[in-house]
Amino acid sequence: MERTETLRMPAMPISQIVYGEIVYWITIAAAIVCTVGPALALIFMDSNVMDPSFTFGAIFAGKSASDVWALSQTGGFPGGHFYVSNLLTGDGFTQFGLALGCGVALPGLLGATIAFAKSKSFGFVVLSLWVAALIFFSASGVVSMH
Amino acid sequence: MEAIRRLFRPPMLEVSVMVLTLIVSYAAIFLISIGAEAPAGGMSTMQIGVISLGFFLLSFAIAVIAVIAGIGGGVLFTPIMLAFTSVDSLIVRATGLIVAMFSGLVSTGPFMRSGLANLRVSVLLAASYGVGAFAGAMAAIKVASSLGAAGEGAVRMALGAILAGLGVYFIMGGKKLEWPEVKNVDGFTKSLNLGLPFYERSIGKVVDYPMTRAGWTMLIITGVGLLSGFFGLGAGWAIVPVQNLVMAVPLKVAAANSGVLLGMGDCIAVWPYLLSGAIIPLFAAPWLVGQVLGGILGAKLLAGIKAGFVRIILIGIMFFTSFGLVAKGLNVFGAAPPVPFWLNATVFFSILAWVIFAVRRFNKQEAATAAAAA
Repeated sequence: MERTETLRMPAMPISQIVYGEIVYWITIAAAIVCTVGPALALIFMDSNVMDPSFTFGAIFAGKSASDVWALSQTGGFPGGHFYVSNLLTGDGFTQFGLALGCGVALPGLLGATIAFAKSKSFGFVVLSLWVAALIFFSASGVVSMH
Repeated sequence: MEAIRRLFRPPMLEVSVMVLTLIVSYAAIFLISIGAEAPAGGMSTMQIGVISLGFFLLSFAIAVIAVIAGIGGGVLFTPIMLAFTSVDSLIVRATGLIVAMFSGLVSTGPFMRSGLANLRVSVLLAASYGVGAFAGAMAAIKVASSLGAAGEGAVRMALGAILAGLGVYFIMGGKKLEWPEVKNVDGFTKSLNLGLPFYERSIGKVVDYPMTRAGWTMLIITGVGLLSGFFGLGAGWAIVPVQNLVMAVPLKVAAANSGVLLGMGDCIAVWPYLLSGAIIPLFAAPWLVGQVLGGILGAKLLAGIKAGFVRIILIGIMFFTSFGLVAKGLNVFGAAPPVPFWLNATVFFSILAWVIFAVRRFNKQEAATAAAAA
């Protein structure tokens, strides 16, 4: 089997474009939230789940994640989706940015799934849904050790 | 005028918005910190701001180096943090996964638009990579909670060995083929209809390429995912050669797919860390931002730098970090005292001497090639 070379660029599959654009722009949005979040956390120091004054010291002292979270107002880790009820706090807003970025492939894959379905590539509909389901279950904590 | 116009066109538009947000945010932090006192036993706002800005700049530098050297940033971040800081290994590996995935995520858009990355191949491999990476992340949390200090030491030593192996692999050059030859396409690969022609700028033509052994590639990528999820390393160094040598994906396409795949697959691996609290928001956020900005700007600003030159420096960093990891691991185990300054300095200067020698040889080769071309 040889590779073939031509001069005309075929139209890019819509699934490519949909996935690429969704992932790119949500990643940018997540980066902006993660830039503003820490600033809010430091400006409104008293309005955080975790006091930033002690967080970095504990991390650099080699404390485990659970020990670091033990210093928070909740006395322990409040759960990965703690931003839902703490969106107006600096670290809650930052966690929202992280969660947004860490789940970015899910909407991208759902968009690509629709595009694959429209082009009748049903094998890739199944594969996209499988990867999307893995992200969903991973993010929801359904499959977890805790 | 044209320069101003360019600022309002992608990707400079979003880069400008991000840089502006960054400047305003840090200006606000430093303004508010004037006159603010640190609580007893805690850090001042100024100190936290400086650390946070330092993290961002370091992440940006890692992203730029990683882009030029053609690897994921996690390969640099995780070992360096484990070797030279006392930060808990689970926190480092969790943040390492953020570093590994975000330069890939931000490069997804341009790669998809140009057709250099192939979504079908990426989704196919992510289906198996994700399973391995998720299992690896779960195993990392399990090891951290059950093995304590011994686990910390073992992780550092294992990573030191992996890093030294990678350094040797990079020195040997790694057998990669720009255009792999395909003699026979198996039935499974054919049925997937994976092909996607792309425009190859170096020859000014649109190239369609055959692929093969998709099943075997999926199997191997599952193992790669396991390693990546466990160590928070990213896995571009493995995903590219596996696609290239096993599946016969052209080198450039394999490298682009690797970024897309890491972004997609690590969206699965990162959540066990996020849900167990191993990702501390204020600690991880500057690393994320640095990767995104560095990923976009790195390739643009430093396109003129010779990749081979950066690669030599990278190998030097890898060997020194590998030494640091093994030494720290032995120390955590209680098998060796902390490394004395003279030994650290001896190893550092030995590696530096090798880097200088290798760079000089590289420059001579480049000059000879240029002379031959002239």
